[in-house]
Amino acid sequence: MARRKGLVINDEQMQMIDGVLTKLQRVAGSAFVALISTSGQPITTAPADVDADTLSLAALAAGSFAATRQLAEVLNEREFSLLFHEGQESNLHVMQVTEQILLLITFGRDTQVGRVRLYTTRAVEVLKPLFEDAEDSDEGGARTIDTDYSREAGAAIDDWFPGESDK
Amino acid sequence: MALINLAAREINYKIVYYGCGLCGKTTNIQYIHRRVNPGARGRLVSIATEEERTLYFDFLPLSLGTVKGLRTRFHLYTVPGQSFYNASRKLVLQGVDGVVFVADSQISRLDENVDSYLNLWDNLMEQDEDPSHLGIVLQMNKRDLGSIFSVTDLTELLNHTGSPVIEACALTGVGVFETLKTVCKQVIAKSART
Repeated sequence: MARRKGLVINDEQMQMIDGVLTKLQRVAGSAFVALISTSGQPITTAPADVDADTLSLAALAAGSFAATRQLAEVLNEREFSLLFHEGQESNLHVMQVTEQILLLITFGRDTQVGRVRLYTTRAVEVLKPLFEDAEDSDEGGARTIDTDYSREAGAAIDDWFPGESDK
Repeated sequence: MALINLAAREINYKIVYYGCGLCGKTTNIQYIHRRVNPGARGRLVSIATEEERTLYFDFLPLSLGTVKGLRTRFHLYTVPGQSFYNASRKLVLQGVDGVVFVADSQISRLDENVDSYLNLWDNLMEQDEDPSHLGIVLQMNKRDLGSIFSVTDLTELLNHTGSPVIEACALTGVGVFETLKTVCKQVIAKSART
């Protein structure tokens, strides 16, 4: 049994990814754009200092998208590849980039959905190969999570929440 | 399966609390949320029914701080324990790095514990997860109640991997942080090896 590889994103890949997201946010008239993993972890946003709880957003959006895929299966549909939430002030559009990556884009009522979909689809075409490279390569991760890291993290966990540990 | 963002110097690990309905998964997470300094945790998100039973998952992000220049976070999830929510459990398990199997120690819950334990392994196998790469901890919860199994008996039933076993009473916090720390250490040790 082979375990699926983790996702390791290096500086060069992240620069390219951030470039694509920044452009997408501008041309699509979006409030902000975010990339998350399908397991619910945030990767990056444009703008970088977005005023939102990205941790909760990533967990909920990934859960919502995963449920949507299962709905497709129940309905014998090959896939629902995108998810759209319409609000009173803002909308959220979620689209799959790769097996492990989702793209989230928020926009206001004054932005046309068609415009967002068009630019998002184009951005996904650019992002897809970048993430496929990141999924293929695990070397950076192996170098980063070494025995030194493991030892120091273990010591940090020992000292974590000191008042609670003796219960 | 950890997500490593070298550009942002960040590592995120995913830990899932698994077990039968009403075994105390959400109680573990709620206790951690109550006791941890708000600076070291994010918001507790719960997708629950009106009766406060978990419908999809609970989610709590915790920060370990910076280790060797890498901001290290653990994302804690629970699954819905009731047997008919298996589709949701499979979704929550996606990308998991560590599992806390919360067992209800009461003798009357034997069947539910065993069903849930078998269900966990079925779901991991279905996802092509190699369990030897996962951090796994068995938490024996509700040790304060009467009519409970001995640690030896429960270990024999629910721990074929020989994982660490921790006795707990999640309601009062006994064993909750010990469980958390043990699974986090396991997860990091396993990711360093793989």
